Parts: sequence; C-alpha cells; structure tokens
Amino acid sequence: MLSVNAFSLSLDGKRLIDNLSFKIESGQVLSIMGPSGIGKSSLLNFLSGSLTPHLSASGEIYLKDQALHLLPTQERQVGLLQQMPLLFPHMSIIENLLFAIPFRVKKSERQALAIKALARLDIENKANALPKELSGGQQARVALLRTLLAEPKYLLLDEPFSKLDPALRRDVRAFVLDEIRQANIPALLVTHDPEDAKAMEGECLELKNVTSVSAVES
Amino acid sequence: MPLKHPKQVASLLVFLLAMPIAVGLVGTVLPAFQYFPPLGSHQFSLAPWLTLFHSEEFYSSLTLTLISGIGAPLLAVWLALSLLAWGYEKPLFRRIEAMLAPILAIPHAAIAIGLLFLLSPSGWLLRLFSPWLTGFERPPNWITTQDPYALSLIFALVIKEMPYLLFVMLASLQTMQARQSLQVCRTLGYSRLTTWRKILIPQLYPIVRLPIFIVIAFSLTVVDLAMIIGPNTPSTLSVTLLRWFNAPDLSMRYIASAGAVVLMIVIAIVLAAWEFGHRVLQQLTTPERSNGKRQGATDYLVQLGAMLGVLSLITAFLALLVLPMWSLTRRWRFPDALPSQWTWDNIHSAIPLLIQLSSNTLLIALAATGIACLMSLLMLESKRASYTKETPPKHHPFDWLIYVPILLPQVGFLFGVSVLMLQTNINGSFLAIIAMHLLYVLPYVYLTLKGPYLAYQEEYLYQANRLRYQPWRNYLLIKLAMLKPALFTAFAIGFSVSVAQYLPTLIAGEGRHSTLTTEAVARAASGDRKQVGSMALLQAFFPVFVFWLSQQLPRHWTKWRLALKTSFSMRKKSSIDKK
Repeated sequence: MLSVNAFSLSLDGKRLIDNLSFKIESGQVLSIMGPSGIGKSSLLNFLSGSLTPHLSASGEIYLKDQALHLLPTQERQVGLLQQMPLLFPHMSIIENLLFAIPFRVKKSERQALAIKALARLDIENKANALPKELSGGQQARVALLRTLLAEPKYLLLDEPFSKLDPALRRDVRAFVLDEIRQANIPALLVTHDPEDAKAMEGECLELKNVTSVSAVES
Repeated sequence: MPLKHPKQVASLLVFLLAMPIAVGLVGTVLPAFQYFPPLGSHQFSLAPWLTLFHSEEFYSSLTLTLISGIGAPLLAVWLALSLLAWGYEKPLFRRIEAMLAPILAIPHAAIAIGLLFLLSPSGWLLRLFSPWLTGFERPPNWITTQDPYALSLIFALVIKEMPYLLFVMLASLQTMQARQSLQVCRTLGYSRLTTWRKILIPQLYPIVRLPIFIVIAFSLTVVDLAMIIGPNTPSTLSVTLLRWFNAPDLSMRYIASAGAVVLMIVIAIVLAAWEFGHRVLQQLTTPERSNGKRQGATDYLVQLGAMLGVLSLITAFLALLVLPMWSLTRRWRFPDALPSQWTWDNIHSAIPLLIQLSSNTLLIALAATGIACLMSLLMLESKRASYTKETPPKHHPFDWLIYVPILLPQVGFLFGVSVLMLQTNINGSFLAIIAMHLLYVLPYVYLTLKGPYLAYQEEYLYQANRLRYQPWRNYLLIKLAMLKPALFTAFAIGFSVSVAQYLPTLIAGEGRHSTLTTEAVARAASGDRKQVGSMALLQAFFPVFVFWLSQQLPRHWTKWRLALKTSFSMRKKSSIDKK
C-alpha cells in the first residue's frame, strides 16, 4: 500500500496543492485529474524523488512502513511511464527489456523473462527488431512491460495514453490495468481524460485551484 | 555524465581554455617591446616598433594582406549567398550540397597544391588548351599563380571559404522558414532573387556573422596557403612575419612580435570596419526593401555570383583531380593534355616516407581529436548542468572563449604559446604538437557537438537510471550511444582540422616531426610535382575517408551489431544442439 500524507506544494510562495492525503492499495490505480499547471506533474516528481528545487513541497510518502520521502530516487524502486514510450532507439526490443531486469537475476532466467514478456504481446518474432519497427500501441505496451520487469514497488503513470490513437487507447488501457493487477503494486495515474480514469476502475481525485494564497509557507 | 562537481569542472575547463590564450598573448606582446627573458632581454624598449615602421617590406606585406584578407571574404560571401539564392532547393544544387562536406574535409594545402598544378603557366589548364588553341609549345612567361597582386591567393581562399560559408548558411536556413517566405513572396509577385535580397539575406546574415568573422580572420592570417600560392618577395604579412620569427638573427624576433601585434590589431579593425560596412549597407537598402519593386538590377549581381560560384567549384574539383594524375605520372611533357606514360614508381619509391608521414599525421590527429571529444563532452555536460529547464541558458564563458584561438593570428600567438612549452620542456615532442593542435581542433569539435548534445532528450537517460541505476554505464550506453551520429561527425571534423594544421605542427614540433601537411607545403615550391602530388593526395584522402566513415558507421551500427549478435547466438545454439 502506498500512502501520501499531507502533501503541499508551492511555487514562488503561491500554494498550488494544500494538504493532500490519499492511500492506494496494491493492484489498484488511483487517478488524479485537474487543469494544467495545478501541480499534477510535480506530485509525480515528488513521488519519484525528482522534484526541481525551485518548487517547495512538504509531505510524507509511505510504502507499507517504509518512509520513501527520505530516500533518493534510485533507492525508491519506482516505475514511471510517460507520454513518450522512451524505448532506447539504438537497442532491439529484447535488449530494451533485458536492460530493465535486475542484475541479480541469473543470465538464463533473464532471457526467459524477456521472452515471456514478448509472448504476452505476441511479438516473439520481433525480439531483434528496433523500437521504431513497432506500432505506437505496441511501443506503449513494451514500455510498460519494460518498466514492470525492473520490479518496481509502485508505479507512476504520467498521461501514458494521450499520444495514442483513440481506437488504440481502449486496448492499451485494459492491458495496463491487467498488468498492474498481475504485478500487484499500487499505481497512480495522472490524466486529462475522464475516460482514462474510468477505465482504471479505481478512485479518482480531482485537484482544484487553491483559492487562498498563503504568504507564509509551512 | 554524472558529474559530481559540475561547477568546479567548469572553472577548471575555463582555466584550461584561457591559460594558453593568455600565455600566447603575453608571449606576443612582451617581446614586441623587447622584453624576452629567454633571449636575455629584460629591458622594455620601443625599438622593435621603430624598426618595423621603417621597414618597407612591412608596408608592402601589409598591403597584400589587406587586399587578400578583405577581397577573399567579400568574394566568398558574395558567391556563397548568390549560389544559395540561385539554387536553394533545386535538384542540381542538392548535388552540390552533398559535395560540400567532403570538400570541407580536404585540407586547404592540398587544394592549393592542386590549384598550383592546374593554374600555373605550365599547369593542366594551359596544357588542355595548348597548342591547338593558344599555340604554345612551351609554358608562357606569364605569372598566373603566386602573382604579385595576390589574386591567385584570393582565388584559393575563395575556393576554400565559399563551401564553408555555404555549408553554414544551409544549416542556418533550417532555423528560418525560408521555403514559406519564398512561397509567400512568389504569390506576391516577387522574383526569386529579389526575395532573397530583400527578405532572406537580411535575416540570414546575423546568424552567420560569426562564421564570416572566422573566415575574415583566417584570410588575414593564413600562412600555408599563402606560402604555396601567394605572392613572394614581398609575401603577405603573416608569411613575412614567419620568416622573421625563423631568421637566424634572433633580434628579428622582436620585430616579428611587433608585427604580430599589428596583425592582431588589423584583424580587430577589419572586423569592425566590416560590421560598420554592413550597418551602412543595411541603412541604405532598408528603404529599397519596401519600395514594392518585384525585381531589380542587383538581381544580375546574384546571377553573376552564382555562375562564378559554380565555376570555382568546378575548378576545385579539377584541382583535386590533377593530384592523383601527377602522382601516377612518369612522363608528361608540356603541351600534352595527359601524361604520355603512367607509372606506380613514384608512389612505390615514396612509400617509406609516405608511411612515416602518414603515421605521424594519424597519431597526432587521432590523439588530438580524441582528447577534444572528451573535453567537449566535459564542457557541454558542465554547461548543461549549469541550467535547468526553468532557468534559461545564460551566456557561458565557453561560448566565446572557444572562438579566441581561431580568431587570433597563428603566427605570433603560437610563438607566444611555444614559450610555455619551452618552460615545461615538452617542446619538440609529439605531446607538444598534440597540445597545440588541440587549440584548433577543440573549437570545431565543441561547436559541432554543442547543438545535438544540448538538444538531447534527457528523459531517456532518466528513464534508464530509473530502470537500472548505473549512471556512468547508462551515460555511455544510452546517452552517448544515442548521440553517435553527432559524435562521429564532430570527430571527423576535428580530424580534418588536425590533418590540415601546418604552423602548429611546425612550431610545437620544432621541425623534428613532419606530417603530410608540413612536408607537402615545404616541397610545394620544389617543383617535384610527382612527389608533392602523392603527399597532397594522401593528405586529402584521410580526412575524406574518416568523414565517409563517420557518415556510414552510425547509420548501420545498430543493424550490424544486431546482425552480428544473432549470427553469434545462432552458432552458439547449434553447437549446443550438437552436444
């Protein structure tokens, strides 16, 4: 379970998010919606530990009992999926997947794990293809599988469907939800599209403008 | 690059860039006032200046420098702009575009030697037209190359500089909406050339001002080209100064230093005057731009320039063609259009020498360019670390420091730097030559790499580090691997700059280590065309070959790597199956 306690965010003394708290159970997706500039991306950066220093944020993140907000990014074991699939263009599909599998996994198993992931997409024959040879929807799916192969403890999704064709979106959404349930980790989705939130079959939080501008920062 | 202390690294790099510049300047200016402890002179004096200003050779050399140093860039800019205006997006022009980069990679000394073989009174051009047209049975007494008015030098400079300017302009056009402007103006009834004159060139000029300045500084100070094809007795100022620096009478060094200071001031004045001239021209032509005329008489200037531009490109091509011809010649009497007897003997007998020169050239070029690539990566990474998405990029000291060595005259400045090498006792070694080359290789490598490196989508690297936290490994395997095309191109450009260096090799190496360039320049005047042809040919071959590799390798790298990997794993599999 991932829990966020009393998260607040300010930019130049202007309070963007005030005292936000939520919990996400394993295998569940919490959707966060709200207008641009409200601080959705900053919330994700806060959760992944890569908030830019000119934003001031406070709050706590717990994964079960572990205090994540005290850890640097590389020790949090966070998975992040963005608009762009960010598959490395100079590496084959299987190399992209192998890249993510933790080092401790034995060599023979690594290969088997990667092939198994490809089999999920029915593209074992594309193992040695380059990312650009896949369709947009397939790239998005490979990107998700790659992220999950790194065995993250929780997953952050930053509008991962917005660049896809509307027709493709439904399939990819279902695929993502299915994989998250199988991996059984908490996931947070940031989106503009109410359909995304609905498809994730979880809670939906809508961020609104904080009207009162507090001059003093907590 | 996961740099721990980018700020400290940046300051160290600034020091490394600024130190040789400062030493070079001090080492030029102090001897000009007769202060030069290595020669035992500790008294300041104005004597060198008085001698310099009483020397007649100084004034005649300076005049030649001004003629060629201003004439060549003027012509080069005119021809490059005209070619661009005439040919932009035409099929024929695209072919010229594809030829530009290889031409740029060829060292200017090789082109100059080719021009010498082509244009001299006994050159290929006259052979082609003799005796059936000219009636000449033997070379005429004309002075075509090395003429006293520096016309052949200007021509050689234009042939070298016009492709460079054209290349830079084409790259800059991508940031302007040239095609759309041309379309809009065509619908308004403007002729193509008038659109260029009134709309596009005024936008283009500010972007290419710096490359033009580099070309001007180069024209005013060039040594090797002027030695091969420039006037002698008197020669241009930089060649005269080089002779004074190397004179057996060591006191000439003071006068030469004073001359080098003059040359620096001349560069500054010419650049200022050029900029002033541009402002005036702009003032004069601004009202003309909005007078509504759809075409004008100056369009003919552009047409003429384009024709001359094509002509000079053809000449450059012929000049390169004549190099291999001479190196394979056994017998080529004057009016014959082609050698009557061919042979491999020239090359065969020169092989030991050519191998030695080539290995020196390659050692220096590979080392200097390798170091330059590493330094550029360090510089760019510390520059990138100095700003984030939110704070806009500031003017970084790198961006102007890097230009200083290419804008300063090599003669003088390099003698100043060599004092530092004397002090550290590395003078005459390969290390010294490589260090001196670095001064000129680094700017071009840095500038080539800068755009792609700073435009890199850092998200790929972040994602890699989230998937597998190994910052150095990921920097190499993800970021640099993705930047391969830019890295390879930068390497090829740095390599060609290093191969072309004449004076830095000569001064740092104290004449102990020859390269293809130093040897070809030294022998250019000897008249032994068969030997010089082979050297110039090799000198041109290496950079073009490296450039070709740099374009082909990144394109096929991943494909070949994966093909190799699958064939390897298949062999492994079949051997396991057999067991």
